[in-house]
Amino acid sequence: MENIGALAIMLAFCLSIYSVAASLVGAWKKKPFLIASGERAVVAVWALIMLATGILLYALVTSDFRFAYVAAHSNRDMPWYYKVSSWWGGQEGSLLLWNFVLVWYAFVVVIQNRKRHRAMMPYVVATLMATQVFFLTLNTFPASPFQMLAQGQNIVEVQDGNGLNPLLQYWTMLIHPPILYMGYVGFVVPFAFAMGSLITRQPGDQWIFTTRRWAIVTWIFQSTGVLLGAGWAYAVLGWGGYWGWDPVENVSFLPWLTSTAYLHSVMMQEKKGMMKIWNIVLVASTFFLCIFGTFMTRSGIVASVHAFASSNIGNYFLVFLVLGIALTIYMILGRLDYLKSEAELESVVSRESSFLFNNLILLASCFAILWGTLFPVISEAVTGEKVSVDAPWFNRVNIPIGLFLLFLTGVGPLLSWRRASAAGLKRNFQWPFIGMVVFMAGLFAMGVHHPYALMTFGLCLFVTWTIAQEFYKGTSAIAKKESMGFLPAVVELTHRNTRRYGGYLVHMGVVIMFIGFAGAAFNKDSTVEAEQGKTFQLGRYDLKVTGVKSGQTDNYVWQSATVEVAVGGKPYVTLEPERRIYSQSQQPVGAVKILRKWNEDLYINFAAMSSEAQKPIIQTYIFPLVSWIWVGYWVLLAGSLVCLVPSKVKLSYARTEVVGMAGKHEKVAK
Amino acid sequence: MAGICLAQTGDMVPPEVRRVGDRLACLCGSCNNTVATCQMVGCHYTAPARQRLSEMHKSGVSDDAIVADFVKREGKKALAAPPTEGFGWTAYLATPLMALAGVGFLTWYLRRSRRKAVAAQAEETIDVEKYQKAAERELSRFDE
Repeated sequence: MENIGALAIMLAFCLSIYSVAASLVGAWKKKPFLIASGERAVVAVWALIMLATGILLYALVTSDFRFAYVAAHSNRDMPWYYKVSSWWGGQEGSLLLWNFVLVWYAFVVVIQNRKRHRAMMPYVVATLMATQVFFLTLNTFPASPFQMLAQGQNIVEVQDGNGLNPLLQYWTMLIHPPILYMGYVGFVVPFAFAMGSLITRQPGDQWIFTTRRWAIVTWIFQSTGVLLGAGWAYAVLGWGGYWGWDPVENVSFLPWLTSTAYLHSVMMQEKKGMMKIWNIVLVASTFFLCIFGTFMTRSGIVASVHAFASSNIGNYFLVFLVLGIALTIYMILGRLDYLKSEAELESVVSRESSFLFNNLILLASCFAILWGTLFPVISEAVTGEKVSVDAPWFNRVNIPIGLFLLFLTGVGPLLSWRRASAAGLKRNFQWPFIGMVVFMAGLFAMGVHHPYALMTFGLCLFVTWTIAQEFYKGTSAIAKKESMGFLPAVVELTHRNTRRYGGYLVHMGVVIMFIGFAGAAFNKDSTVEAEQGKTFQLGRYDLKVTGVKSGQTDNYVWQSATVEVAVGGKPYVTLEPERRIYSQSQQPVGAVKILRKWNEDLYINFAAMSSEAQKPIIQTYIFPLVSWIWVGYWVLLAGSLVCLVPSKVKLSYARTEVVGMAGKHEKVAK
Repeated sequence: MAGICLAQTGDMVPPEVRRVGDRLACLCGSCNNTVATCQMVGCHYTAPARQRLSEMHKSGVSDDAIVADFVKREGKKALAAPPTEGFGWTAYLATPLMALAGVGFLTWYLRRSRRKAVAAQAEETIDVEKYQKAAERELSRFDE
């Protein structure tokens, strides 16, 4: 069986190379049979990778420790679902997951476009399969998941595996890596179509319309993956930090920033025929940042608590990145004439300009995070001395950027295309602005003096007001014209232009998340060596440890502390945080208990037993408003899904072609 | 919301540890926190660092001198953020400079676009005037 798995990967590798070659030669020599053969090779690669994955999964679930990978990343007593998640718990398996997700995307693209985009498809397939060749190279040579332990050859039989890293034995880890990968890998599709469009000099913006849904779907996966990671860190690492500016967290966020910039700037190309070069650059940047993120995680050039699978395959990534970026730059430079804008900006105060500023801010944030992440390495290379760039530096740089972005979230959508008038600005922004100032003054009077928190709350109100205003105006008009109730009119309004109103919902989700982030300014914590029966206090909570219990499961031994919580002298809730020591890894891990409420979370971690007095060490935290982050995500998700629904009314936008393309119009003969 | 945020008591980490510790990195190697914010119980770096910090504070050493002492022992990596000297400045200046360059590029782009727009509009106006004159000439022939 193991040989079949290795053979499947090897054959998939060979067929991927064939697919690239057949597609390119077929397009060059205009041989349809070769093009078709290249596409069929994709289906064969898909089948082979499914087979290889199936074999690895079977080995994991049946604890077949002849496989080195299975022995290194699972053990017999793990529940079956964690055995499945061991698939991405180590280097070789997670690279196979890359291949798995990538080949699914390639398969769907080929099936979807059997009769469409025939001129572009050979190059799309070649780009997809070239990426597949790279990842299959890794799985075939330096990181094969089918390496066997030489059991029965004078080597002691492996009775049980090492087990999965205990930090990964948490429910979000069952879905976080696959979803994040679906977001990362997914951007290869818009990138492949962009390349296909560039190579074939497709007229119009065909690749934009074709890949619009792909881009939104993969952005949803990226957002979900990042948020699941934050949720995992919050609930598992034991100190409630959902974002710690760790290098691996940072590199997962970079493609999200560029893809968000792309989703905004692409509207300029769709509606105005502008920013064509920029959109190609953003799509390519997103794709290469995804590869860069994987390179950072694998190469070990920066230390990270999340780098579960670092190794020496970094050089492969570096070569792929350099070649890919060089080729993309060459393609763009060679086709600048084809990428010319069809229109020009007419005013600084316009929707177009707000998109430009939005892009500038998103990229500034991207650059700041990248710079901060790489600075220790760069500094050491330049000065020979190591420096640290920790969370305070990232907060100092990114909070102002985030606040400006939040401001633009409120301003941008209300500016009109082409040119905003002074009267329009006053009409749209007067009351939200006054409301924001009054609200901030009120909060200040109530004692909220943290400047960033104050500004965040104020801006959140401003953006909420502008969004509500937009919905109200549109809904009122429809309700009046169509004699509808208010709620059906909201649905009707949203259905008429799903991308616009779905986008507003996404913005609202971001606003709600910012409220959650601002709550961090008021976090409280305490660490006590708790004496049984004696009360300690944090905030309005009186806490008392009434007992310590212990027990054992097949997978770990556990110890829990019973913590009775009272508010105002009245019993409120009893929480039982646990600490576990996993049998195979002997690694202690906390299982925190969180009382989640809309206004704050009470978070209790049973950190350890004190070595001298054998008393439980209890860490208690109050995290105000943190639940708003997760609620914000659901709103963001709902908004993104609305964007995917086709609009009821097909809108066409007048392009300012007379202005921008004047030179291209034929002159009237004199 | 403000009420919720204000209904908290003071925290347990002594203020001097919070203040000075925020300037010092936790060098345990498994977190990205500062000596003030590291939450690992018995962290092999933060726990003794906090103790030393408290002792120095009690013996009247200033905040800057405490930080300087940590840098002397551990090197510049003891600081939570790059030092504001020499190459360390680039950590702080690179992002604002890039943002400024971006704003500069946007300004140039907007000006160029507006110039083109005005030129095209002027060209369009000349064309319209030309057609209007031609139309008037033709119409005047009909009158004749």
